[in-house]
Amino acid sequence: MAAQTDGIVNAEPAKRPPSYRPPRYLSFIVPGLIATLAVIVFPWLFTVWMSFHEWKIGGSRHWVGVQNYVTLAGNQRFLEAIIHTFYFTALAVILPLVLGTFAAVVFHRNFPLRGVLRTVFIMPMMATPVAIALVWTMMFHPQLGVLNYLLSLVGLPPSEWVFAKHTVIPSLVLVEIWHWTPFVMIIVLGGLAALPSEPYESALIDGATPWQMFRHITFPLVLPFLVVAGIIRTIDALKAFETIYVISNGGPGTASETINIYLYLQAFAYYNVGDASAVVVVFFGIIVALSLVLLYVRQRAKWT
Amino acid sequence: MTRRTGMTTSRRTLLKTGAALGALAAPMLNARTLFAQSGAFNWKRFQGQSIEVSLVTSPRADNLKRHQKEFEDLTGIKVGLEVIPEQQHRQKAVIEFNSGKPSFDVVQMSYHVQKRQFARAKWTAELTQMLGDAQLTPAEWDRADVTQRGLDYATDDGRIGSLPWSVDYWMLYWNKELFQAKNVAYPKTIDEIVAAAQKLHDPGAGVAGVVARGLRNANVPVWTQLLLGWGQDTTTGTPPRLITDTPDAIAAAEVYKKLLKDSGPQGVAGFNWNESQSLFAQGRAAMWIDGVGFAPPLEDRSKSRIVGKVGYGVFPAGPKAHMSAMFGDGIAVTAGSQKKEPAYFYCLWATSKAMCNRLLQAGGGVPFRHSTLSDGPTLAALTVPRDWANCVAESGKIARAALPVIVPVTEFRDTFGTALTNMIGGADAAAELKRATAEFAPVLAKSEA
Amino acid sequence: MTPGKPVQGRPVQSPLAYQARRIGGKLALGFSVVVLLAPCLFVFFWMLSLALKYDIDNTAYPPVFIPNPPTFDNFVHVFNESPMGLYFWNSCIVSGLATLAALVLGVPAGYGIAKARAHSLAVVMLISRMTPGLSYLIPLFTLFQFIGLVGTIWPIAITHMVITLPIVVWVMIGFFETLPAELEEAARIDGCSVWQAFLYVALPLARPGIVVGAILSFIYSWNNFIFGAVFAGRTTRTMPVAVYNMLTFEQYQWGPLAAAAIVVMLPVVVLTVVIQREIVAGLAAGGVK
Repeated sequence: MAAQTDGIVNAEPAKRPPSYRPPRYLSFIVPGLIATLAVIVFPWLFTVWMSFHEWKIGGSRHWVGVQNYVTLAGNQRFLEAIIHTFYFTALAVILPLVLGTFAAVVFHRNFPLRGVLRTVFIMPMMATPVAIALVWTMMFHPQLGVLNYLLSLVGLPPSEWVFAKHTVIPSLVLVEIWHWTPFVMIIVLGGLAALPSEPYESALIDGATPWQMFRHITFPLVLPFLVVAGIIRTIDALKAFETIYVISNGGPGTASETINIYLYLQAFAYYNVGDASAVVVVFFGIIVALSLVLLYVRQRAKWT
Repeated sequence: MTRRTGMTTSRRTLLKTGAALGALAAPMLNARTLFAQSGAFNWKRFQGQSIEVSLVTSPRADNLKRHQKEFEDLTGIKVGLEVIPEQQHRQKAVIEFNSGKPSFDVVQMSYHVQKRQFARAKWTAELTQMLGDAQLTPAEWDRADVTQRGLDYATDDGRIGSLPWSVDYWMLYWNKELFQAKNVAYPKTIDEIVAAAQKLHDPGAGVAGVVARGLRNANVPVWTQLLLGWGQDTTTGTPPRLITDTPDAIAAAEVYKKLLKDSGPQGVAGFNWNESQSLFAQGRAAMWIDGVGFAPPLEDRSKSRIVGKVGYGVFPAGPKAHMSAMFGDGIAVTAGSQKKEPAYFYCLWATSKAMCNRLLQAGGGVPFRHSTLSDGPTLAALTVPRDWANCVAESGKIARAALPVIVPVTEFRDTFGTALTNMIGGADAAAELKRATAEFAPVLAKSEA
Repeated sequence: MTPGKPVQGRPVQSPLAYQARRIGGKLALGFSVVVLLAPCLFVFFWMLSLALKYDIDNTAYPPVFIPNPPTFDNFVHVFNESPMGLYFWNSCIVSGLATLAALVLGVPAGYGIAKARAHSLAVVMLISRMTPGLSYLIPLFTLFQFIGLVGTIWPIAITHMVITLPIVVWVMIGFFETLPAELEEAARIDGCSVWQAFLYVALPLARPGIVVGAILSFIYSWNNFIFGAVFAGRTTRTMPVAVYNMLTFEQYQWGPLAAAAIVVMLPVVVLTVVIQREIVAGLAAGGVK
């Protein structure tokens, strides 16, 4: 059992030197690689090239060197967008991770109708984001929305949800949680399925509380799975677009303007392609940097 | 008949001169001289051709969509119609134009946002010559009937780049029942709106004194409508210079802040027209400041609880002036189109008297035509209250464009919209306007210099 | 192992206490299930409720929960307003092509990466996922216009590969890494080429993974909005774009919007129900890599 777990979690065999690359497998990878590059290389060259130009669509274009980047570094609105992005991402990663792990522990247990209920639970992650965002928009209406009615049923005061500066990001995160908790749940569930059952049995006989069992047995073993879920969630949350675009479009004011929304506005509302391209480059740098940090964490989590 | 031929000849001479100036006009000239032999105007001239039309979702587009078959029967031109929401339409149009070969021959444009942008980039075809050509423009289209405001809107640097189609005035919707209950009279001045809103505001009963757009960008027209009460625009001179932090601009912003902060519904900082409409239609706001196009849903029993109780008021006067904010849509032929003449026929049909009458009749929009608002049968067959038509006619007399005619309109609206949204949250009006003005001034200077 | 430590040395519990804990545990479990499922179900319920009521009830406060009487007018409206059948077909073609291409290219790539442990190449594939989708729009539109593909279904299908290919590669790496290498090695000794070993040995074994990769990439391609919004024209529009297009100016229509949302999601939901077990198994296997 333990060996099998190791086999899944740490598939890397220790014997081979890390530089070992049998060339014969290259032919498998090349077509996919070429297709990927075919789609992304031109946009990338275009974007980087444009980021050194000043160009408003419909107007003339000229080379400005690194001016767009310099302007961006001093742009209050962009810097705030970075903060909003990190705030949104932190919440939209951590909360689904916590809830998803909880859900996985619950659905790992045996109970009647588990299969059906689990299917219902994963439905949100398959739902079309634009459509769901529209439904949430209607639910958030501060006077006529159903959410404030539900709050009033349990005696809570109405919230302004996405209609006020201080509540807009948490409200948008609520939609993200709804959407993506099942995704975390599934990955963690996979981790749980591979767990050995002996430690639980002996712990149960010893009278361990469920929390103790979770803290000391389950959590360490599913940590690698959690990190993977965390990496994917982070990339997706950083790039979150549809939910914010449809529900708040960055407002009220600029309170929920993330980098991606700011990018959208620069490119498709103001048509400043040069500035927008610089935003893309910086944004991509942020995504890659964060992903690398998490990959590093993942390596650490694997070996300890 | 002879007179018409004479006109054609002189126009052809003119055209030849024009063609000598620019090689671009040459292919068009050839096409036209070919047709010149065929004589008078004929709707069927381009029979068998097909065109692509791209419109923005609105009652205006619905009107054309509904009667499209008539156009196809009349001209024998096949129409591929695409109707998409405004925000997407704007972005798609620009990406398509930028690629050099847009997929559509006819495009809707909003003058208050895209006029300068389209004109600068010369994305739409110049219509002046076709408008003057009796073989391409029927007498019944009647240029003299089109309002001067419309023609001005359609003209940029002396170049007519579109046909004026529909105008949007701002007005004040009011709930007669709520006004009666609190014994409040319809406000005659902006100060009275503030007073009435305070009196009518009743959060306990779930009724807001007034509702209007608080959402960034969308909210700017509310402020500029108020600002017109001080007789002021947002920019002045050529090249345009911002006058958005003057004492009058601040005073108008103070009114905006006071109205929405003190007498507006909770969460109004995130309201666009749709949230406002839902609230007003449920009888939960006493007044609503917005464009004239909302009568049909307010008078529809499946959507509204206040059918028959809506007052349609001309926007009240300010301390220095009495004006109604004006926005407008045009319909244009794309410059890159290979089928300019049939596309132009579509534009003619869309702005014809018959189609304009239908538009007004359904309350779907107000055409840029004199005759429509005084057309007896149209007014008699209105599907919305007569009050509405009166309000529109009165508003038209005091209308004035309420957004600056510049390229970066959206950036302008976003920047000042953020300032206005901040005010609803309690920020100081003067400080916010100064900040927004300072932020936008370099953008404007760069764009319009 | 550490887990046992904190509970060592405790007295063994009495059967009664054990029983009580079991019942308490069941209650807690039941409660947890309800808490987890309630929000999920409520949003779907509310969407259905909105779709079956007239707008006057949809914007009523206090809200009307159960449509009385229910109306199908909103659905009729959706199908009358736009050629939903065409959009449905477009979505099928786009997602189908993008998924097919992703399988043809991605399954061998996943196999190659897993066998060669070429994780740096996997990262290259991931770059397309890390790139903000918006940055593709202007350059690719210009490119497609230049090639003359605009107005056809191809630009949308091709750009959707940005979504589908990483998913397939990601799921397949996970699958192939868990496959025991002995079988292929045996096939190789019997004289098969690498490709033959892949086709006849590895591929059949990876079938569950392929199913999951295909389904997931189909669903995520189906749900994508922004590529369709820009690259699609009148006749090539996909479902999510069509739903967003139900937003109209000057008449905000909650009912038809909700109805359209249901129409676009229905195929995906049905797919999910049909293959939920495979999804759980496949994602779990892929998740570790």
